[in-house]
Amino acid sequence: MAGFMSTTYNLLFKRTSTTIFTIFVGALLCERTVDYSTQAVFDHINRGKQWKDIKHNYEK
Amino acid sequence: MFSVVIKGNTLAPHLKATSYAVGHKAILAAVNASHEGEEHIVSQDFKPIDAHSMRLINGQLKAVSKSVNAIGQVRYAHTDIKIPSFDAYRRESTKDPKKSSLATDADRKAFTYLMTASFAATSAVFAKSVIRGAVSTMAPSKDVLALAKIEVKLDEIPEGKNLTVKWRGKPLFIRHRSAAEIEKERAVDVSSLRHPEPDDQRVKQDKWLIVIGVCTHLGCVPIANQGDFGGYFCPCHGSHYDASGRIRKGPAPLNLEVPPYEFVGDTVVVG
Repeated sequence: MAGFMSTTYNLLFKRTSTTIFTIFVGALLCERTVDYSTQAVFDHINRGKQWKDIKHNYEK
Repeated sequence: MFSVVIKGNTLAPHLKATSYAVGHKAILAAVNASHEGEEHIVSQDFKPIDAHSMRLINGQLKAVSKSVNAIGQVRYAHTDIKIPSFDAYRRESTKDPKKSSLATDADRKAFTYLMTASFAATSAVFAKSVIRGAVSTMAPSKDVLALAKIEVKLDEIPEGKNLTVKWRGKPLFIRHRSAAEIEKERAVDVSSLRHPEPDDQRVKQDKWLIVIGVCTHLGCVPIANQGDFGGYFCPCHGSHYDASGRIRKGPAPLNLEVPPYEFVGDTVVVG
């Protein structure tokens, strides 16, 4: 754990520029993760009720 | 006659010695209270019996009880007292007192920076969604966007005729050109034009010319199939446009504007 933390510090947080870069990349990943996971939860709860689930019955 | 004048300051060192002493049970009780893992500051061998007593521990003077002028105090500055251990409160990496602080630099700072960066990243996501929401309130709504496009059926326009429709508050000319007109406009020498544009840059399909019907001079609406060049003629100041909507004669500086459009089957979608 200590090795992981010090590697993280040396690679990402030692310079301000890499810290800022890490923040923006982290924000992007965080947003995508939250979006996809909440969408998956919504689709799971509403399975069979949405247009994409019944589409094949009406389109050729 | 023999008189002694006793001065206070000659006795002061002797009296003062007793002031650096432990003389009260209550103070000792407080000092002896300690945490697990720490060394006792005052040896636990010491038990104050009563007031007005003197104690020797390991042959050293540790405490003297109250005497007449002395004030009972805990003696703080001793060389024989061990420095208490704070290892219970230290990080693993800093327990070795001989280790340079530079060596443990990354290990000590990483967690703090990780927390800061996580908070900043979360804030960035929230800030982005707030700004996005604020900007999207300025975007046109769906009904406005739907009205911004126009669909025209082309098979209803006979050859050689010009259809005028209203699009975004302006007249739009849709002209079904004959083969003779197409030939004529293609043959024009581009370098001789005031606003040089070849015919194939102004139309997507040779048969159909689609331009905005606003004269580039002062904004009048030109009349179709009039003028010296068989295209459009502006009645306000006499600008002549050809069948490709290019200015050929008169005061207008530019060709008629071509809007963005695309053909879908036998209709044209403008906008």
